Amino acid sequence: MRAEPTGYLIIGRFAKQLWLLVLLLLSFSVCADETFERVSVVDPYLELRTGPGRGYPITTIAERGESVEILGRRTDWFKVRTARGKEGWVVREQMERTLTEAGVKTTFRDVLVEDYLRRRVEFGFAYGQFESDPILTAHIGYRLHDNFLAELALSQVPGDFSSTSLFYASIVSQPYPDSDWSPFFSLGYGKFNNKPKATLVSAIETNADLANAGLGVRYYLTRRFVARFEFKQHVTLIDFNRTDSFKEWSLGISAFF
Amino acid sequence: MKTTLKLLLLACLLGAVVSVPVRAQSQTPVIQPEVDRRNIRIPKINVDDIEIGLYGGVLSVQDFGANSAAEFRAAYHLTEDFFIEGTVGRSTVSDESFRRLGIPIFTQQETNLDYYHLSVGYNLFPGEIFFGKNWAMTSAVYLIGGVGSVKFNNENSTSFNFGIGIRVLPADWLAVRVEMRDLLFESDILGKNELKHNFELVLGLGVYF
Repeated sequence: MRAEPTGYLIIGRFAKQLWLLVLLLLSFSVCADETFERVSVVDPYLELRTGPGRGYPITTIAERGESVEILGRRTDWFKVRTARGKEGWVVREQMERTLTEAGVKTTFRDVLVEDYLRRRVEFGFAYGQFESDPILTAHIGYRLHDNFLAELALSQVPGDFSSTSLFYASIVSQPYPDSDWSPFFSLGYGKFNNKPKATLVSAIETNADLANAGLGVRYYLTRRFVARFEFKQHVTLIDFNRTDSFKEWSLGISAFF
Repeated sequence: MKTTLKLLLLACLLGAVVSVPVRAQSQTPVIQPEVDRRNIRIPKINVDDIEIGLYGGVLSVQDFGANSAAEFRAAYHLTEDFFIEGTVGRSTVSDESFRRLGIPIFTQQETNLDYYHLSVGYNLFPGEIFFGKNWAMTSAVYLIGGVGSVKFNNENSTSFNFGIGIRVLPADWLAVRVEMRDLLFESDILGKNELKHNFELVLGLGVYF
């Protein structure tokens, strides 16, 4: 009997490209520049943990007046090196109470609401219901003006009998962009494609133009994240005499930059 | 139907017209203050909250046996506890055993199974793993779950996944992960629409940026 070559081939086929990618990734991380910020400790001591989390054990400390180098940051934890060459992770609350070399209080500011108001690019995912089927959407937006956003969206509706994909561009208006709960309205235009499952007999694929209008609210969560809840009414223009309409609601999360 | 659409359109137009200007015009002050501005320098610290990785392992597709799978993943660590991760993966599925019985399922013997999903992870047990007496590596056991889509035999279906994994960090910028997941999706490929359980075991390397 013939040996099964199926699976292991995939990895073999892409192995070369994968390795190149790995090497590329490694070279990026090695090339980081080696000048580090230096701060001096104002608290009685800084607690240095083995890892970036409150569950990791404290192995060493840096005393008041000691100067430490900041090697990097992950979430709310800073990796520091003490004058004695010991390395460990310190939480942001403790680092905020240190001084820079010039004696100025350090500002390890987090992403703040002001950054949210100044954001330009936003991308995210949403999950919801398209009539009675689930819908998954990925979208990317660009802020044209304080109140207006241009957005591209790609949705997939894997239904029981057919799968539908939507691709559309929309203009989104946000009348109150600075509030935490910000309502928005959108108008979009794009393409609609419906492909019946191959197991169905006499299945015809449908391609049509799509227009939609939406109403929703976004809520500024924390750091770079915004939650959004949306209701949309889609209309497909199948031909001059026939239109179809679909209701969609979705809940999603977006990150902004 | 038409009226809801009309109402929505009207609301959009209203929204556009009523849009409030965000910031008030700043007026020039009567007294110009003469203040020596202190040069505040925001410290430049390399933040690496993003983890990008390549994964390989075994995906066992219900009714079709186990095959290798390859994945590309990008994760963003929100806090020390939570991370979100996007995955794109591919495996091949063979209907050889059905063909042996004379009932081919696919048009060709092998077909691709492509999947992508977005998941949320929660780091449960932070800890350390010791290699000999000189080397300790930080580790964490995490739970992960999410939603996505699977393309199997040219049909798309929504998928759900949940699993558990362990992440070991030999260096601060490198993560080695071993993960077990159940990838669930509905399929009617054998004549009846049912929820399929597909277990996956992968090993991966991630690099932090």
